[in-house]
Amino acid sequence: MMEKMIFGRYLPLESPIHQLDPRAKLLFTFGFVVVVFLANNVVTYATLAAFTLMLVYLSKINLRFLLSGLRPVIWLIAFTFLLHIFLTREGDVLVKVGFLEIYEGGLRQGVFISLRFLLLILVTSLLTLTTSPISITDGLETLLQPFKKLKLPVHELALMMSISLRFIPTLMDETDKIIKAQAARGADFSSGPIKERVKAVVPLLIPLFVSAFKRAEELAIAMEARGYRGGEGRTKYRLLHWRWKDTVAVCLLLLLAVVLWRLRS
Amino acid sequence: MKRKLTALDISLAGMFIALMAVGANITSIAPFMVVGGVPITLQTFFAILAGAVLGSRLGAVSMGVYALVGLAGVPVFAKFSGGMSAIVSPTFGFILSFVLTAYAVGKLTERNQSLRMYVAASLVGMVINYVAGTNWMYMAYKVWAAAPEGFTYSLAWLWMSVPLPKDIALAICAGVFAYRLEHRILSRSYFRTVRKTA
Repeated sequence: MMEKMIFGRYLPLESPIHQLDPRAKLLFTFGFVVVVFLANNVVTYATLAAFTLMLVYLSKINLRFLLSGLRPVIWLIAFTFLLHIFLTREGDVLVKVGFLEIYEGGLRQGVFISLRFLLLILVTSLLTLTTSPISITDGLETLLQPFKKLKLPVHELALMMSISLRFIPTLMDETDKIIKAQAARGADFSSGPIKERVKAVVPLLIPLFVSAFKRAEELAIAMEARGYRGGEGRTKYRLLHWRWKDTVAVCLLLLLAVVLWRLRS
Repeated sequence: MKRKLTALDISLAGMFIALMAVGANITSIAPFMVVGGVPITLQTFFAILAGAVLGSRLGAVSMGVYALVGLAGVPVFAKFSGGMSAIVSPTFGFILSFVLTAYAVGKLTERNQSLRMYVAASLVGMVINYVAGTNWMYMAYKVWAAAPEGFTYSLAWLWMSVPLPKDIALAICAGVFAYRLEHRILSRSYFRTVRKTA
């Protein structure tokens, strides 16, 4: 579980997609979320699906692994499909069972919209499977630079992200330790009426908060002792490089958008 | 912006994001938090505390960054989910609404620090969480899933009324807890004195 928390969903592999700059991948993903809405007939959906499968192939991520990650959203897709099948009333009636009528338009809409959902989820999970949270943080920090003009503290926000990445596993461990410590003192978490159980949570949360605040204070003192003075004039340890490949990736998305625009009905 | 974010502000906000990650998944660490087969997440609870402890501005900022950390692929959302795909999930509105929740709770408790105010602020925060989250869910079904006419606005609310009593109880607990935390522990701690003099 701890490993899962540290690396998130990142799978370290060697593939053309892994090597892309995180900024390019972020732009690509946000662009794709918009482009998906251009598809509205069989040809455009087929193009989109083929494009997505090509991306999956290029990422060298096992398709079975990718699909197993979809398990939590499968019911959502199924729900969407059923919603359309039973509630959209267009075209001819295909099947009639009792009071349930399935229309041709409903079936088509159901398939299209579930496919749209599936593709959106596949492409967005590809981003997080091929890019580590740290690179995404770096990428976001550079992409959000223009917002500095609007007084958005971009550097500080990125630093908050990095700090939380570092401390999530620590606090998880800490919670586990506190539970065991309180159980050793005779705290009973697992039985009794709900009111008693809620009361039992207080001796868990108070030490957790106190320890979190203590850590925050110590970290702040350590930062100030090392002369931290915000993002102004600060140099970086990890540098991002925009290569021609990244330009190609972004152009590919634009090409897809143009193709879909021409093919849509 | 009134004041630059200090090192202490940044580390406190980062720590609160980590606390949110713990709160969202507390059931997997502590199995006792399952009541009647339904796992409880403490996300709203912690979002209310973020507003009460960090104040309106920093609380809202930390909740916004929490959403970003989750989108970056760290499994900080409930059921250890995370990743860019969360953005198309209909429940993402609840995560975004934590920003408003923390802001409102912070604004209300900054003026008046009585126990009654803390509880009232928590309830206001919870209502904001529900209103924003349910509207987003409705909109998400309409836009992403292009839900047909049959999926009405009242159906979305009917769906959300099931966990409502539990969340009202949790919000009241959060208010009392925040009050005690503030008056018994934090009022004497180092960072409160630093922030007051800064």
